[in-house]
Amino acid sequence: MPATPVWLAAVESLLNRGIDQSLRARAVASRLNGTSMELRIGGLAPIRIAAFAERLSLATGMGGADRVGSAGGGAGAGADPGAVLSGSPLALLDLLARRGSGSAPRGSERVHISGDAEIAARYRELLELARPDWEEELSRLIGDLPARRVSVAAQAALWWARGFVRSTQANIAEYLQEESRALVSRPEVQEFLGQVDVLRETADRVEARIARLERRLDGRRELEGPA
Amino acid sequence: MKTSDRSVDFGFEKVPWAQKAERVRAVFSSVAGKYDLMNDLMSFGAHRLWKHFTLSLTGLKAGQHALDVAGGTGDLAVGLARQVGKTGHVVLSDINPDMLSTGRDRLIDAGFAGSVACVLADAERLPWADDSFDCVTIGFGLRNVTDKAAALASMHRVLKPGGQLLVLEFSTPVAPGLKPIYDAYSFGVLPRLGEWVAKDAASYRYLAESIRMHPNQETLLAMLNEAGFGQTRYHNLTGGIVAVHRGYKI
Repeated sequence: MPATPVWLAAVESLLNRGIDQSLRARAVASRLNGTSMELRIGGLAPIRIAAFAERLSLATGMGGADRVGSAGGGAGAGADPGAVLSGSPLALLDLLARRGSGSAPRGSERVHISGDAEIAARYRELLELARPDWEEELSRLIGDLPARRVSVAAQAALWWARGFVRSTQANIAEYLQEESRALVSRPEVQEFLGQVDVLRETADRVEARIARLERRLDGRRELEGPA
Repeated sequence: MKTSDRSVDFGFEKVPWAQKAERVRAVFSSVAGKYDLMNDLMSFGAHRLWKHFTLSLTGLKAGQHALDVAGGTGDLAVGLARQVGKTGHVVLSDINPDMLSTGRDRLIDAGFAGSVACVLADAERLPWADDSFDCVTIGFGLRNVTDKAAALASMHRVLKPGGQLLVLEFSTPVAPGLKPIYDAYSFGVLPRLGEWVAKDAASYRYLAESIRMHPNQETLLAMLNEAGFGQTRYHNLTGGIVAVHRGYKI
């Protein structure tokens, strides 16, 4: 079994502290007791999350959940995880960020869930409930006032970054559609598709008319009889 | 095989089973007074970071009970006492009376006279009832224990179900290129440093040798599993010079 990275231990400590502080999270963790879930994030080693005694255990590789009781999702020795979530880092972050909104992942950023979907849903709920308050965690290290200022600066940076990404996307899309004409705009696509629909309906009408004419011609031949 | 016929590593030396504890006691009695200073000098202060990381893993809450086995001068015990607060309870135990005495003085000076008990105890036969502690730590102590399997079983016994054992110990470097440098430092510099500062080169030669004879990361992980611990993992620190092994009583 490979060594578990130190950063994963830090994340585990933060999550367990979050669970300790929330009755709801403790109840969910208790229900998940003995189960495990695996995160397969593109480009990283699989991370096994196991729940026991109202705590979460995070480990890399396949051996992390060994010796957990075999209840629930079957996280016993050598057992498969109860559920597997796989996707790109952005897709998994997006999934966690959409707190109970129920909206579908955007674009091609898909998260694939295999195994017991209920276990996956409960783990997601638990991770949401146990999500650390970063400002509070930072204040433990550098004090309340600096932590507040760092938090405000980080939010501003995040807001700016989101705006930058949005405007960059819009500019690139506009260039590709209007300047280079490598892509077509949505109205043009819709107009094109509309014209295709009109063409298809016209073709259908012509086909029906030809069929009717053929039937009429066949009927006339039957009346005239053999030559 | 009878215990009297068995031998055990004491550094690179093989000594009769019954003699190791006495020889380890002599080493630590010799270095007790300069132990903390030597730790800072030998590790360039990194031992404080290793202990800080270990303490960050305990998951202890106010009011809980913790045991620091082979706790020596009480670095981990002080951190544990801060985590469990005044309503909790911490026991600092060591088999060596000189180390324990130094640790007790330090705890009193740090203001933890009431909440930390100091107990002279053998890690292989811990004198507490089953299921007594929420967390047990052993920092740089396991490699000095004669019967490591018995010590792990004893620590497993005194843990409450769901409780965690944390073993902070020197291990095998895994970072590329680190091992030759580390060997040169351990066998070339450490004994001389021990001679200059603690006036005891032999004890620090034992320290370097005992680290080499200690089980590597995977072997110790297997020993934790054999002792009955679950959710076992380890974290390499400073390129594997030190590793923190953890396991839960499930």
